[in-house]
Amino acid sequence: MPRLTAVLVTAGLAASLSAVMWAQMKDPPLPLPGGATQRVDPAAAVEFLSPGQVTVPARRPAQIDLHFRVADGLHINSHAPLDKSLIPARLAVVEAHGLNVTAVDFPPGTAYALQLAPREKLSVYTGEFVLHAHVTAEPGDHALEAGLRYQACDANSCMPPHTIPVEITVTGK
Amino acid sequence: MKRNQWVIVLVLAAVALMVWSGYVNYKRRKQAAQRQVQGTPESANNQSVQQDVAADEGLPDLRGKRAPDFTLRTLEGKKLSLSDYKGKAVLINFWATWCAPCKIEMPWLIALRSQYAPQGFEILGVSEDDADTPRAKLAKFGQEEGLNYPLLMGDDAISRKYGGVEFLPTSYFVGRDGKIVAETAGLVSKDEVEASIKKALAAGGK
Repeated sequence: MPRLTAVLVTAGLAASLSAVMWAQMKDPPLPLPGGATQRVDPAAAVEFLSPGQVTVPARRPAQIDLHFRVADGLHINSHAPLDKSLIPARLAVVEAHGLNVTAVDFPPGTAYALQLAPREKLSVYTGEFVLHAHVTAEPGDHALEAGLRYQACDANSCMPPHTIPVEITVTGK
Repeated sequence: MKRNQWVIVLVLAAVALMVWSGYVNYKRRKQAAQRQVQGTPESANNQSVQQDVAADEGLPDLRGKRAPDFTLRTLEGKKLSLSDYKGKAVLINFWATWCAPCKIEMPWLIALRSQYAPQGFEILGVSEDDADTPRAKLAKFGQEEGLNYPLLMGDDAISRKYGGVEFLPTSYFVGRDGKIVAETAGLVSKDEVEASIKKALAAGGK
């Protein structure tokens, strides 16, 4: 019988622990009060991840995938915002001798709505997103210099537009 | 009843109590979250906690201080100062054409301005768009949104006076006595905006 008691006590503790964990997991995240926002530097809202260096066949059309990440809790307008007054994500490329960027493909945005205006849909990028740059390179190393301009917001507020540098060494072989 | 049976009953009762408390805790937090999203002030005390957090997270705490005076140009080129509104309650609303949450609150501001202007309330919309943004573009935006309050061309000086204004929308509510009674960083509910307007109208008497 003492064994039965021990089993029951253990089961009771496990059940109570589960209940507490359930309550914690089901607990909705509390919004920051008063519309307050965490201070995030606009420059840190988006990070250029990769590649730092890439090799492409010389004098033939090639594609370079540019990986970016939007910081957690933030979003940026996609390349095609639904509202014309919003600032789209754009990549400005510096012309370079021996390297021609013919086009840049942006992914479609995902629908997003602010908590206080669930019907007002925005087209945004969150998390990681990839641009496809179409290039033609002469043989040798070339510096692809570009700037991604974006405008970031969190759930309640927006930061001024910002441009981050994108620098890649492209080797034509 | 045997001793072991008592133990079983006690353990089951303890488990039931813990499950119940977990559920009650979950429900209470969920309700609190909904209240905050809807902007229903729980109490004056809660409101002040909200504003304290706003001050911690996004804004310097200017409440209780005299609103820094400024002189800016309207879209029509006319000079306008905060001191022109002495004795009135004023909402200084920092916004930009590229700010989606700013656009969301604009219909609320239009309605609240219409409702409270007869009591001595005005809104000053300070644009945080780039300095080289054509006034015509701002004017067109204001027209399309149906804004019924003055739009001003912001500059670095006013941003500095009001703590940098790094996030939009940012609003300061100035009482009739010229002191800031409330401030918000980011979109808040219409009810919260209205509550702050009422506070500004009540501050300093008529």
